[in-house]
Amino acid sequence: MSPYLDVTGLNKRFGGLQALSDCSFKVAQGRITCLVGPNGAGKTTIFNAITGFLTPDTGHVAFRGASLDGLSPQRVVRHGIARTFQNLRLFADLTARDNVVAGMPGHFGEEPLGAIFRPFRTSRALAGKRAAALEVLANVGLADRADALVRNLSYGEQKLLCIARILATSAELLLLDEPTSGLSGAALTEVMALLRRLQAEGKTLLVVEHNTRVVQQIADEVLFLHQGHLMAQGSPAEIIADPKLAEIYFGGAL
Amino acid sequence: MDFFATYLALAEIYVLLGLSTNLLVGIVGIFSVSQAAVFGVGAYITAFLLMHSSTPFPLAILVAAGLCILLNILVTLPSLRVSGDYFVVTSFGIQLLGTAVFTNWTKGTGGANGLPGVPAPIILGHEFIEPQEFLLLSSIGMGLGCLCFWLIMRAPFGGLLRAIREDELAVAALGKSVLRAKVSAAALAGAFAGSAGGLYATFLSFIDPSSFDLDASIFLLTMVVVGGARTLAGSVLGPFVLLALPQILALIDIPASFAAALRQLIYGLLLIVFMLFRPQGLLGERL
Repeated sequence: MSPYLDVTGLNKRFGGLQALSDCSFKVAQGRITCLVGPNGAGKTTIFNAITGFLTPDTGHVAFRGASLDGLSPQRVVRHGIARTFQNLRLFADLTARDNVVAGMPGHFGEEPLGAIFRPFRTSRALAGKRAAALEVLANVGLADRADALVRNLSYGEQKLLCIARILATSAELLLLDEPTSGLSGAALTEVMALLRRLQAEGKTLLVVEHNTRVVQQIADEVLFLHQGHLMAQGSPAEIIADPKLAEIYFGGAL
Repeated sequence: MDFFATYLALAEIYVLLGLSTNLLVGIVGIFSVSQAAVFGVGAYITAFLLMHSSTPFPLAILVAAGLCILLNILVTLPSLRVSGDYFVVTSFGIQLLGTAVFTNWTKGTGGANGLPGVPAPIILGHEFIEPQEFLLLSSIGMGLGCLCFWLIMRAPFGGLLRAIREDELAVAALGKSVLRAKVSAAALAGAFAGSAGGLYATFLSFIDPSSFDLDASIFLLTMVVVGGARTLAGSVLGPFVLLALPQILALIDIPASFAAALRQLIYGLLLIVFMLFRPQGLLGERL
């Protein structure tokens, strides 16, 4: 059986910088895999390469046995992979609910002819989407903020909304770029609980994470990246116990 | 009465045209300053068909709208490659190109002297020659335009367009085709501008390049800004307010040559004052 997500031999050079260097790894279905490594290790570049935002110089990405090489971001989503962004990229002037509606797969009324000539069907489609969006928001604990504009949401709520928006795409593999960064206390606990819950619902998660405490608590598997290369792969305990990796990660402070 | 009917009919035509600008600039965030050129193409095509063939008026308008759909898709496509401020410059070039063709292609457009004698619309044997009669046609045109605008804005398509304005990359990351949505919006805007052009040519029976030049494009933007971008109410209100201005100036006892200059001055000032102090216009959302 082919692996769930299979990344092989990715290379990407930006001018003089080797952002990814023969990077290969596999992600198993139904698990939470954390991608860790110092700043500039190539974590976001890997996300970009998997989701079609960037074409690697060489290498392949396959998902459930199907090649994703050369696909545009929108086609990758249709294969069942969706991502969040480190800088959120929410639609700030739209409500939380409309952000989620925007993530739902192409239903009726998303092109002008249908909207103009089939107004009643469009109404029904829209009502359906809005109801479904409310369920997604409830799932991440934002049901009561559905009609608030994004710019009026707290940072923690915005982070949750990013996850809600990609859940709306019904993707099975979620690529989360630093879902907990900038969060602390209750907001942090809430996101961690949400990630666990998504796993229980059958999603597979690949998470860029800096907080070692979070990694220890949620990760089934850790990928340690350094200078665009996969240095180590293992359980959180194994990775954290490795003095060589700690040296790289903390710059010799430990 | 004629005077008032003329004002209303013209304002209604400009509402239809303003919807085109509001859709592109206000909703999708494609900052086009070439909608007057598309408006002009619609006007000239309608005039040409009615003057040189036996094409019935409704068909002529449909042909004009159809060709303007294609044209507007073509001139909007660069927005997929160049974004934001850079597209303004591209679109500026397209507008100048349009004006150059209208002015210099003497055989087709009559050049700077314009095209006199565009026949009035005839539908089912009835000629809509008086402004009061024409008002019926322009009202239907405006009504249909507003209805379409309202229908798409409440649909998921409207949400998609607004999302594209906010963040194209995020839209692509959600599995949506930005290209498809932008082409659809450009097509719709082209249909609005083209049919407005057809109504304009047959209403005034005389057209010349000055109605479709860069000044006209900026006048159009002023209407959208003053009325209020991004909303239907703003698109409707803007033209009625701005077209009332020359009528009001006509009531004051000042020489005609001075009134024209004063009008331009006031339009310019309005644009600046609104952008500074009320960017959302009278009935719109912040641009």
